[in-house]
Amino acid sequence: MSNTVMKIENLQAKIGDKQILKGLNLELEAGKVHAIMGPNGAGKSTLSKALVGHYDIEVLGGDIIYKGKSIVEMEAEERALEGIFLSFQHPVEIPGVNNAYFLRTALNAKRKHEGKEELNAAEFLREMKKHLEMLGMKSDMISRSLNEGFSGGEKKRNEILQMLILEPEVIILDEIDSGLDIDALRAVSEGINKMKDGKRTFLVITHYSRILDYIEPDYIHVLKDGKVIKTAGPELVSQLEEHGYDAIEEE
Amino acid sequence: MNLIDLKHKNPQEVTDLLGAKEREMLVERFVSLGLPSKKSEEYRYFDVEKVLDKAYETLNYVPKTLEVSDKIEIVDGVVVAAPQGMRIYNEACQQIDMDHFDPMYYLGHLLCPQTIKIELDGDTEVEIEHTYTQSDTLIHYRIVLYNQANRHATVYENFICEDIENTLVLYGYDMHIAQDSTLRVVKMQSMQDNHYAMIASHKVNVAKNANAILKSFDLGGDQALQLLKVELLEHAHVDAGHLLYLNADSKRGTVSQIVHVSEHSTSKQEAKNILDGEARGIFDALIRVEHSAKYTKAEQNSKSILLHDKAYMASKPQLEIYIDELEASHGATTGQLDPKQLFYLQSRGISYVEARKMLVIAFANTLIEEVKDTRQQERIKSAFEAVFYKNT
Repeated sequence: MSNTVMKIENLQAKIGDKQILKGLNLELEAGKVHAIMGPNGAGKSTLSKALVGHYDIEVLGGDIIYKGKSIVEMEAEERALEGIFLSFQHPVEIPGVNNAYFLRTALNAKRKHEGKEELNAAEFLREMKKHLEMLGMKSDMISRSLNEGFSGGEKKRNEILQMLILEPEVIILDEIDSGLDIDALRAVSEGINKMKDGKRTFLVITHYSRILDYIEPDYIHVLKDGKVIKTAGPELVSQLEEHGYDAIEEE
Repeated sequence: MNLIDLKHKNPQEVTDLLGAKEREMLVERFVSLGLPSKKSEEYRYFDVEKVLDKAYETLNYVPKTLEVSDKIEIVDGVVVAAPQGMRIYNEACQQIDMDHFDPMYYLGHLLCPQTIKIELDGDTEVEIEHTYTQSDTLIHYRIVLYNQANRHATVYENFICEDIENTLVLYGYDMHIAQDSTLRVVKMQSMQDNHYAMIASHKVNVAKNANAILKSFDLGGDQALQLLKVELLEHAHVDAGHLLYLNADSKRGTVSQIVHVSEHSTSKQEAKNILDGEARGIFDALIRVEHSAKYTKAEQNSKSILLHDKAYMASKPQLEIYIDELEASHGATTGQLDPKQLFYLQSRGISYVEARKMLVIAFANTLIEEVKDTRQQERIKSAFEAVFYKNT
């Protein structure tokens, strides 16, 4: 694959005593949308966690090469500062941490890392308001505690808001469509599509093809039993819909 | 003076040692409760003998001509400055509680025949700044505070000290919160480097339909204990909040008794405790509902976060109830920072140290944000951050 931004080589990882990823290979092409599909328990969420350095994951072997260097030993915050972003399936609630303060702290950490000047509160609010309207988010959501009392849809929109503000290079969307009604799904998809600029790379992890009606994928990867067993173009979606995962044979 | 000399003494011996003639009832109360030791329930978790058993210098308390200031300034137990027109007197305390649970309340009164009486006029807001300048000294003083009926007053208390060491401060309030009034007292005390230890023993009388809002922010290290007794009359309310953020080998906290004396009184007491290093936090709090206090509502809660495996929290919320017609609840939890929350922040590029700080402040924020004055709120947050960064 030309123009590879991330290469996952023979990745083996476990959670607790259970090995989930069993030699996973995957290349992400810069500027493309990659969808990972697979049955329950295939290791989709474990893969997303492994990419961002989640504390649950113990990497047993293999490597993750991002922009030419290994990130397996990097802390989660370093990976984020280097441009890897995970939109969580279940964003955690943090009472007492103001959403706007959190977003500004995160943005300024990134700007500092990039050698840019930090934004003050007024500059930041101007920046953020642009995105709120597009996502159909009420302005009071930024003054509330981070994700506290948010509905499922609000949490997902808040994830997309963070993505829009932090402008990452590799965006991992873990079950972004779960728990969303049709309006929320449309708003979230719009936010994601706005980020598609031919340079950013998306890794869309999903059970169902519904989200792929809104975010058109370039590649479909089927994950089964901790390995990518097939990679193909978007035409694979209809095949999966029709015959299910059991019909896919390892390539 | 070595206060340990008062241990196991009879009333006559205590009277002689303290020069407390004509104060027999106080001496008797003090002797019957006994000088606190590690066996005393209220002082179990506090190294009281360590702070009492020292030969302290004593001071002569001579009232000074007050200078004009924007706050009440008390230096080594003597008022030296106050806002113009503020009514401050030196006189004997007229209403001493003869049923206080703390022997140090009585010792404080015995050591301070003259108290600092402050009368708050109208809807006022005043800052009291306590300054300590003497090393190896026993500094003792008591304050009697009155507000006016139908008025809403606020007192901000702050503590500073010069470069001193091995001093013990015994102080405390007798507060009289008038009918239909509100008195809000916000105490912020950041201690560090063993400049002084403190035992603060208070009594708060809350009259009919009055509100007492008592918030304490105890940050940093060292040894300090506040002992608080609150009595609530009919339809009176107390909202007590205590934030502890301790480090090193500090031992600090609150021992309290909230007594519902009359009907329809309500109380809410919340403690939030964050303990780092080998610190020990204390929250030993009793709510007592008397036979005469039907339709009481009482709520008590203590939440603690331990940031280090050697930190320890002694949480002891208690209810003592003598009637059936009431609503009461209490509880205590102790845990650590949530790794999921920590990871979420880190996954957005926020450093481990910063993420930890955000969560620690978030835990404390519900109490800090109850301080309405933004300058005082900022002062608490700055002190909070200073303790945090000292630890990291």
